[in-house]
Amino acid sequence: MSIKTARRIRLTLSYLVLLSAIAIVVYPILWVIGSSFNPGNTLSSSTIIPENATLTHYKKLFAETDYLIWYWNTLKICFITMVLSVIFIGLTAYAFSRYKFIGRKNGLLLFLILQMIPQFVAILAIYILAYQVGLLDTHFALILVYVGGLIPMNTYLAKNYYDTIPKELDESARIDGAGHFRIFWQIILPLSKPILAVIALFSFISPFADFILASILISSDEKMTLAVGLFNMIKNEFGNSFTLFAAGSVLVAIPIGLLFLSLQRYFISGLTAGGTKG
Amino acid sequence: MTHRKTAALLSIIPGMGQFYNKQFVKGFAFLFLAVCYFIAFLDFLNIGLWGIVTLGTEVPRDHSIFLLVNGVISILVVGIGLAFYYFNLYDAYQNGKKRDNGLELSTLKEQYHNVVDKGFPYLMVGPGFLLLIFVVIFPIIFMLLLAFTNYNLYNSPPAKLVDWVGFKNFIEIFSLDIWRETFVSVFAWTIIWTFTATTLQVAVGIFLAVVLNQKEIKFKGVIRTLLILPWAVPAFVSILIFSGLFNDTFGAINQSILAPLGIDSLPWMTDPFYTKIALIFIQSWLGFPFVMAMTTGVLQSIPGELYEAATVDGASNWDKFRKITLPMILFTTAPILITQYTFNFNNFNVIYLFNNGGPAVADQNAGGTDILISWIYNLTMTSAQYSKAAAVTVLLSLIIVSLALWQFRKTKSFKDEGMI
Amino acid sequence: MKKLLALPLTFALAASALAACGPQEDSSSTGGKKETASDKPEKLVIWEDQEKGAGTEDAIKKFEEKHGIKVELKEIPMLDQQEKLRLDGPAKKGPDVITTPHDRVGPLAIEGLIAPIEISDDVTKLYTESSINALTYDGKLYGLPKSTETPVFIYNKKQMTEAPESLDDVLAFSKGDKGGAQYGFLANWTDFYFANGILSGYGSYVFKDDNGTLNPEDLGLANEGAVEGLDYITSWYKDGLFPKGIIGEKAGQTIDGLFQEGKVASVMNGPWSFQGYKDAGIDIGVAPMPKLPNGEYVKTFIGVKGYNVSAFSENQEWAAKLVEFITNEESAKTRFEKTAEIPPVVSLMEDPLIADNEAAKAVAVQSERGVPMPNIPEMAEVWAPAANALQLSATGKSEPKAALESAVKTIGQNIKANHSK
Repeated sequence: MSIKTARRIRLTLSYLVLLSAIAIVVYPILWVIGSSFNPGNTLSSSTIIPENATLTHYKKLFAETDYLIWYWNTLKICFITMVLSVIFIGLTAYAFSRYKFIGRKNGLLLFLILQMIPQFVAILAIYILAYQVGLLDTHFALILVYVGGLIPMNTYLAKNYYDTIPKELDESARIDGAGHFRIFWQIILPLSKPILAVIALFSFISPFADFILASILISSDEKMTLAVGLFNMIKNEFGNSFTLFAAGSVLVAIPIGLLFLSLQRYFISGLTAGGTKG
Repeated sequence: MTHRKTAALLSIIPGMGQFYNKQFVKGFAFLFLAVCYFIAFLDFLNIGLWGIVTLGTEVPRDHSIFLLVNGVISILVVGIGLAFYYFNLYDAYQNGKKRDNGLELSTLKEQYHNVVDKGFPYLMVGPGFLLLIFVVIFPIIFMLLLAFTNYNLYNSPPAKLVDWVGFKNFIEIFSLDIWRETFVSVFAWTIIWTFTATTLQVAVGIFLAVVLNQKEIKFKGVIRTLLILPWAVPAFVSILIFSGLFNDTFGAINQSILAPLGIDSLPWMTDPFYTKIALIFIQSWLGFPFVMAMTTGVLQSIPGELYEAATVDGASNWDKFRKITLPMILFTTAPILITQYTFNFNNFNVIYLFNNGGPAVADQNAGGTDILISWIYNLTMTSAQYSKAAAVTVLLSLIIVSLALWQFRKTKSFKDEGMI
Repeated sequence: MKKLLALPLTFALAASALAACGPQEDSSSTGGKKETASDKPEKLVIWEDQEKGAGTEDAIKKFEEKHGIKVELKEIPMLDQQEKLRLDGPAKKGPDVITTPHDRVGPLAIEGLIAPIEISDDVTKLYTESSINALTYDGKLYGLPKSTETPVFIYNKKQMTEAPESLDDVLAFSKGDKGGAQYGFLANWTDFYFANGILSGYGSYVFKDDNGTLNPEDLGLANEGAVEGLDYITSWYKDGLFPKGIIGEKAGQTIDGLFQEGKVASVMNGPWSFQGYKDAGIDIGVAPMPKLPNGEYVKTFIGVKGYNVSAFSENQEWAAKLVEFITNEESAKTRFEKTAEIPPVVSLMEDPLIADNEAAKAVAVQSERGVPMPNIPEMAEVWAPAANALQLSATGKSEPKAALESAVKTIGQNIKANHSK
């Protein structure tokens, strides 16, 4: 067998593998999209390519539910969570990467591990704390909890990324008389765009997926988030709005998908340097 | 008496030692902060510490759980206060020592620079850590304490007070047949689940990244975007869709995929074995894009010379993958991979949303696909056994944390952590 | 030196904090409830079930006019309300009145989340005895009933001309032409809520009823009748008349979907489903459940939904007045017109509004044949093991007898573990 044939076989196999992977990945997603255009109410009544495609569910979403309000709330929460996370994580990781201080060695690891502890009993505690400080039923409480939850893992990623930026850069700047903050701002920050983009993305999408904390901390209808609103549509055993849920989900997934797409460039380089430590 | 001792002793009232060291601004700052602390927290600490000891004495005035929460917060506030207090003593002592040794004390300006310089990392880390203390540490302490109370349906505020009961919950967990009998089988599946599901999602992620990263493959960007899609859809949406697609009779998997292939309907939702397969598949589907994205980057960073040298030595593609690529990937991403394992160990959502731990299995107290976390949830939450839920969670946490710690210690990545 | 100092200080701090401490013992602050009895509150908050607000709005408006108290209505899924009350109540964010299915009344009363209400006999007489009993726990009345519901037989008029007399007829229909549908009849019989009707009809019981008190130590789910009943249930699955796809958690949704698409000629479901079926364009007929092969009626679980006063309410007497007002004859009638919830109000049972309404009538008749769901907290231990037994038998993994005995054993153990006082 010539090298050329071997290569051709390898390539054909590779494409086959990738194609089947794409098929498996896309199939359920097509179902979501398909069922959102189906006239019925349930998944079992739907087909992947709707026979009588209809926009009813989308119309219903806007006419009969507070979908737009949920959407707006969620976007707001996501955006503030993102901004705060990037600031907190960027600064914390910088300290971890460049400075000596008490707790540096094990602090991060400790939090990373503590986060693995199942929290379903502890949610009660967070609720009462939020009440005590008067933050119950506010988006701010939710944002604080999200940001806190994002810190350990992402700080770890960001720290590893900063570690790859040569320290000589800050040292020469320091010799030139630059202060701590200026070094961070003018040297580290521009160089760490990829990892910050990754963190921004992670923190932006995490509120979209949480239906537990949000349903407990938020009680007013007008403050509800998308995840809770969507989840309520289908959790009721006697509820029958699966297709409505699908329509809502499609509208959620589109912007996130686009975000992923546009950040992809940063995404891989940032994630890699952050996740690895050679 | 030496200056250091006098200064430290005087600083029992915060700031006095600093005054003695003639650092008036600093001394005043300490004193001011201390006064503020007491004014702000005295009442709260009073009730909080009383509450955590007694858990309330009178119904319905005292709500034990609120008192417990306040107690935990009080302890944290006291801790922060003590840290500050210790720093005050330490500072007075150090400056006193300088005087003893006849050194000049820093001027106000120097002090300022000192604070900015030494304090800078604390300044940056501080807000984040404070948040973490309240979002991560505080709930864990609460849960830990709850495990030693009798908080359940029959001892529940506002009707009743909750009491401390020592190790009663832990003893009961091990002495009740019903818990013990099922524990082994649930634990076994939890381990199998964690390992197969995570390993598969990692393997698929790496494999696809390697395949996609070959030089000759075209449309890399498009393919990669499509493959990352599962990540972009909120997980609970996907899981619920899958649960519909896997329906034994009406699901698309049986009807539209297996049937045309001539395969009879498989009992995805009613036979534990098939439900387990489905769950592992779903988790891989959900989890591989992250691994793939990360691996792609690692691949791009492996120097080409390594492969060229290997080719010269006559290594096959498989050899190259095994000897260069794989070790490189595993080595560099190990800590992140460990978190993937611990995540699945506690992956309540996928188990709960797909089939609620079902299908049923004869003679056991848990569903066929219940993992520890979902089993505990069902056992304790249906009958409001909060303190027992907390106790089991504490035990579970001990397992996870020690395993994770052990693994983290083993990876090289964490060993050179001390150096800058 | 440093350490030496720190230690006594810590102790001193801790000791002083503990000694001089605790809340000032002014128990006057606890008497808040009674003081406000005569004071009119500005506002009362009521949590209504999801999508049921329309039925209560009118009554609320009249109450507001009559008493000059503002009433705020919030729709929250009924089954979430207890959990929310547990958190929101002590945080003073809770409502004054909640909507509860009666089987939660026992646990809620034990926890002290809902308060008993004082209602004169003249008022309680308005409602059916069983509905008042359902809302009574430990001899105290904890609310007034808003509606009663129980699963009934629902059929697609296009596929089934009239409701069959017996389940044997349904069986024959299902084996026959099924009126052109794919399935003749489907029911969620791996959910204990629906299956109990069959089991009880054959003579089983959940807890022994000792003159109105349920005995949690006497379980009847594995008696002869229960086994016979489960045998009967299993036969539907065995013969392939019930597909495997309606076994387990999501069965309810699946059956709903199939009925809405016209793929099933008839189903067993509760009144909450009527509207959805109609919206899907199905011309439904409703009847009491057909008789069992042994000639007995299907003894479905009756659920009573009631309004209860939150124990955290600062205006419990006014809240009780509100409950009384929104469940009175007039309000109940309006509610029935708006949301088709059937009120257990004696006088309305004979009212042409209900008597001439096929669906309402069916529910009312079936309610008389059913048994109230137990409202003692031990019931929480029953659902999952019972459902497991049903599922195992339906999938053929266990014999009905073995499955039920195992379930009863588990239930007994759980009750002992979680409910021994």
